[in-house]
Amino acid sequence: MTYPQTHAAGRRTGSPSRHGGRPAAVSSPVPARRGPGGRRLLAALLVTGLLASVLPWWLDTPAGSLRSTAAALTAAGRITGLVAGYLLLVQVLMMSRLPVLERWIGGERLGRWHRDVGATVLVAVLAHLSLILLGYAGLRDHSVLTEAGVLLRDYEDMVEAFAATGVLVLVGFTSVRAIRSALPYELWHLLHRASYLVLLLGFGHQFSNGAQLFQPGPVRTGWIALYAAVVAALVWGRVVTPLRFNLRHRLRVADVVAESPDTISLYLTGERLDRLDLLGGQFFRWRFLTRGCWWQSHPFSVSAAANDRWLRLTVKVVGTHTADLRDLDPGTRVWAQGPSGTFTAAHRTRERALLIAGGSGITPVRAMLEELPPGAALIYRARTPADVLLSRELDWLAQARDTDIWYVIGSRDDPGPRQVLSPDGLRRLVPDLTRRDVYLCGPPGLVEQSLRALRRAGVPRGQIHLATFEL
Amino acid sequence: MRRAFLAITGLAASTTALVVLKGSPGTSQAAQEPPAGTPVGSEAAGAPPSGTDAPAAAPTAAATSSPWPTRGATRSPAARPTSRAPAPRTTTARPPQQPTTTRRVTGPIVENEYGNVQVQIVLNGDRIVEALTLELPSGPGETERHSDDVRRAYNGTSGEVVRRQGADLDTVSGATETSDSYRRSLRAAIERA
Repeated sequence: MTYPQTHAAGRRTGSPSRHGGRPAAVSSPVPARRGPGGRRLLAALLVTGLLASVLPWWLDTPAGSLRSTAAALTAAGRITGLVAGYLLLVQVLMMSRLPVLERWIGGERLGRWHRDVGATVLVAVLAHLSLILLGYAGLRDHSVLTEAGVLLRDYEDMVEAFAATGVLVLVGFTSVRAIRSALPYELWHLLHRASYLVLLLGFGHQFSNGAQLFQPGPVRTGWIALYAAVVAALVWGRVVTPLRFNLRHRLRVADVVAESPDTISLYLTGERLDRLDLLGGQFFRWRFLTRGCWWQSHPFSVSAAANDRWLRLTVKVVGTHTADLRDLDPGTRVWAQGPSGTFTAAHRTRERALLIAGGSGITPVRAMLEELPPGAALIYRARTPADVLLSRELDWLAQARDTDIWYVIGSRDDPGPRQVLSPDGLRRLVPDLTRRDVYLCGPPGLVEQSLRALRRAGVPRGQIHLATFEL
Repeated sequence: MRRAFLAITGLAASTTALVVLKGSPGTSQAAQEPPAGTPVGSEAAGAPPSGTDAPAAAPTAAATSSPWPTRGATRSPAARPTSRAPAPRTTTARPPQQPTTTRRVTGPIVENEYGNVQVQIVLNGDRIVEALTLELPSGPGETERHSDDVRRAYNGTSGEVVRRQGADLDTVSGATETSDSYRRSLRAAIERA
């Protein structure tokens, strides 16, 4: 489809005129802003913790005491060990689904941090292992292999520690994007769960052999307290909070509706839905309690703003699990974990927004549109007209919330979409681009392409909100 | 991924920086010089003017900053089965021992300005029956003599360690630093026993 055609056929809806039109019927209240303050505070806390974890080494080591290369290597091994130990706890904490983290940092950002810190942990652990090996071998005049034997044979908890490293390498390796996407999600997830083993197996050697930790004292106590705190956060975030949520709301499938040949909407009902603290654009991790599905949990966005009667999620059928969802019977119990995500109107920094959605990425955007201040603009990328979802609701929202909507149809390499998603194309559609929040949701390719175009068009990174879904 | 790369680079750079800061050769040379001429005892009091707080910090810090891991049994394979206690080494978690078997527990190497000190104790049940040093500072003249003094005073089956059954030892005159390191290594060994 060519560019002019896209334009001609593109603007299917939209309010007649933003100026002089009838006032927008504001149905849902616009949520209050949640600034970045909480997030920054938490990030600062985590960084302070990192510095504090190396502090014992600094205080324990007399200046000028690292005379030989071996002693220097050992010292570096200790530093990397402390860093790795701390970051490993941070990794688990970030995935603990602790409400405070989900609320202030948000699932998407936590996911990105987890990814980056994960790579760092892996490197830190491997550095710790090799530096200590080299250092000890040098101090004792052993070969590295002999020293590895000595460590495994004569030191407490070292077999476990080596095993933990092995597991961590496996987890890290399978998380490399290319390898991860080649694995079935469930298998990958199971492997990734093995990271808890790293925590367990790596625990002992820190205290039996850690130079800063073997002696009873505030450092050792503090380190153990850190472990206890992380375990408490895990239990709170992964057990207590969901348990409370699900006991209170008791969600069930009410109806399964086809939205397009390959997309379905699930309507859920439950109790006390008026007290649901849900923002449009957020997601839950859903577990459908039927024979084939109960053991898998998948994140799906809610595709309509909160109301006191039902919840809806709209899902594209891409895998075996999503195919099973088609056959859910009304009445099926649903276990939900959430809501999480900072892809919401509450996280805006400006009064106006531009939303860019690709394919089924429209679902959180659709829910958010109900809560954004009037005057938003939406660019909706879809491969074919049949792939456009929820178009009637979008038309209605365009009217009710004074929203401009452009449908950009065609494959990624067609000139039309390419033109629209260029800096110039975006500026032409939305002249006040740089003064808007931009919400991006769609497949990684679209998100990356749009992100680049937006940055080049001069939109500050802090105004761009991402929700990439992994397939 | 770019941020991960930055984080890893930062980690490498700051680790190197920390090690270099602590091990800067300027201070270490200054710290190494005194043993050559000055007697051990006087030196410990009159800290070398090298400008670092090393001598002051050394006694407390050395115990944990020794390049050695805390595990002691490495040099005495005989001790392994007994000292491989299931629980972390707190005195309360000690498994009951038959009174007839002795076991050896080794303290960490404690580094001071003259060299390394490492103590090993032999226990019969809860009783320390012998103390020995696996390592003491050796070197020219004075250092060697002070090490001998320390060895004579503390070690053996009837030395001060066995008499006092603990790490509360009188400082060997002239060998303050080495006595101190001895006590630290010993204390850790006792804690671990």
